[in-house]
Amino acid sequence: MGAIEKQATANCDCKSERKDKGCMDGLIVGIDLCDEYTQVSCADEEKIWSLPSVICKNRTADSWYVGEDAYTHTLNGDGVILDKLVSRALKGESSTVGDVRYTGKEILGHFLEEILKMIRAETKKETVDRIVVAVRRYDSKMLEILESCADRLGIPAERIDMISHAESFLYYMVSQKREIWMGTTGMFDLSDEGFRYYEMKVQKTTNQTIVMADYEELEESFRLDILATASGKRLADKIVCSCGERMMQKKAYSAIFLAGKGFLKRDWAPEFMNMVCMKRRVYMETALFARGASYCAKDMNQEKTLFPYTMICEGRLKTTISMNVIRKGQETSIVLASAGDRWHSRIASVDVIPDHQNTVDLVVTPQDVTNRKTVSIFLEGFPKREERTTKVRVQISFPDEQTMEVILKDQGLGELFPSSGVQIRQEVMI
Amino acid sequence: MSLLLCRQEHVTHPYYAEELGLRLSSTQELAYVIYHYPLLVLDGFVRESLLDFMREELGQGFLALKIDQWMKSGENPDEILPMILQESDYYTAQEVAHYRQQMTDLRGKHPAEYRRMKADELFSMRQYGRAVKIYQELLELPADEVVNESFRSRVGNNIGSCYARMFRYDKAFEAYKRAYSADGNPEILRKIYYLTRLDPDLRLGERFKALATPELKNGWEREMESARKRAENSVQVRQLDTLFAQEQAQREKGEMKLIKRWKQEYRTMA
Repeated sequence: MGAIEKQATANCDCKSERKDKGCMDGLIVGIDLCDEYTQVSCADEEKIWSLPSVICKNRTADSWYVGEDAYTHTLNGDGVILDKLVSRALKGESSTVGDVRYTGKEILGHFLEEILKMIRAETKKETVDRIVVAVRRYDSKMLEILESCADRLGIPAERIDMISHAESFLYYMVSQKREIWMGTTGMFDLSDEGFRYYEMKVQKTTNQTIVMADYEELEESFRLDILATASGKRLADKIVCSCGERMMQKKAYSAIFLAGKGFLKRDWAPEFMNMVCMKRRVYMETALFARGASYCAKDMNQEKTLFPYTMICEGRLKTTISMNVIRKGQETSIVLASAGDRWHSRIASVDVIPDHQNTVDLVVTPQDVTNRKTVSIFLEGFPKREERTTKVRVQISFPDEQTMEVILKDQGLGELFPSSGVQIRQEVMI
Repeated sequence: MSLLLCRQEHVTHPYYAEELGLRLSSTQELAYVIYHYPLLVLDGFVRESLLDFMREELGQGFLALKIDQWMKSGENPDEILPMILQESDYYTAQEVAHYRQQMTDLRGKHPAEYRRMKADELFSMRQYGRAVKIYQELLELPADEVVNESFRSRVGNNIGSCYARMFRYDKAFEAYKRAYSADGNPEILRKIYYLTRLDPDLRLGERFKALATPELKNGWEREMESARKRAENSVQVRQLDTLFAQEQAQREKGEMKLIKRWKQEYRTMA
């Protein structure tokens, strides 16, 4: 394959990830939004706002309360409490409070509105320059929900973005001193949402540094309330210790992080702490995802990124999609989507003219280049014309992380050979 | 086997190439017509309006400037078209070299032959009105080693074909008769006969009646019948049938659209 070149940005339609006009000195917010809890971090602010993800609506007035206030008002009997706000919005569940029926999306919108009110009041900043929401599982439907919430709050959709916890972990790590993350970094995240092990690796090539994060959902997760009893504590320690040994084995780490409410106190896990701290640097960070999201938000608000790395994690492509073409008489390869691009917003299109060829070939290159494959799509149903008189528009997008949708459209060649309107749509597993 | 990458062009105002009766919307289309219709573009095709199109719509400001300077410098203007082909990335270096050779060959042609070929190319582009004009000028030329009876007959036949395609059967009839008189080509006689079948007002004179023997007429009738059947089953007729089967509002809308297109086509060809 020839030298890989970036295709001109004109034919790539991506949501703007960089600073837009009007972003001056407003709020730059990172929100870790989960069903159980929500944490908020603002750029250049040390404070973390932590609250349970619950909202209470006053039965008679249009007043909403979040977090602990929601519990208080519910106990006073003047409101109805709603929880599991993320799942509720994703499932499209509605709830009736008083005489009004609210959709899950509207409820989440009110929750975010109340959070922003709280942040605005404390920071004395009114405008919102950027919000990045970190979620446990990247789902494009959730991004649409968040964009619609932003719209309701009067925040332009391009100023809100969503990342996975894995990406938030990457942003958090690359914002630390290099010595901490230049080797393999591990992280245990324990909360009522579950127990996960994250791992970040760094790979350096001649022209780029690739940072990759992946995670494993540990099936042995448990409710944190078992830590209330001595026997529960012992059991929990055994569980996390066994998971830790299984995940870490004898690997060398530059650092280990402990995150989540479960590790807020560590006295219940002496065995695990002994194991994990053995000749290693271990850090505790309870709001890692909120901070990671705010670092990401801050970076997106810069004209040039502070982290010139290829980031590969949930929510980003793990493969590069390219095409071998002839440009200026030379065979070359053009990249339609790169590993590390956010798949949700990645749409690329390019026009090509087949010359003695009745296929469009796309090269799918994973991280392990030995598994590179070529996907050939036949121009089936395209009209037979003389050579080089059929322009084909090749458009790719990604309905999810593993699927690429390819659309090939017959463009003809102007009035000389009018388009037949034929279009081929194919899904390719990547 | 390869895929040619097209440059990004966002043409909002296509270029109307009068010589071809076509609107061009991309570098590839421009290159295609230059390569395939050299006789229509050799003289006067590259002008200020085309350079403006290249500059403003195709984003080829540098090439337009280069051509502009070339034109003003008094250098060989025949170099301009290969220059455009070269920059298009649509043709290979060998194809451009072949094009150059083709231009040299064309320039070496007898003026009458060159003009006839140009008129033939206009005919192939359905530019019948323009083609007729050139053919008629050719008939005025004094005789020489190229402009002989056979040449005049071919030109006359072509004039007839142009008029026939413009539905000017009376003029086509006269042109074919003159062409037949020049060299007695039986193919022309057949066309004369068909015109009388298409337009009942046209009548074969005594001379042609005698030439069109019953055997010949029977053969031509069979051909005509077969052509009619083919036409009845053509895609265009089927599309018309579909249109006429639609509800009135839909049908009228489709009819208006079709008539508009036919009118445009006729204006271009006439």
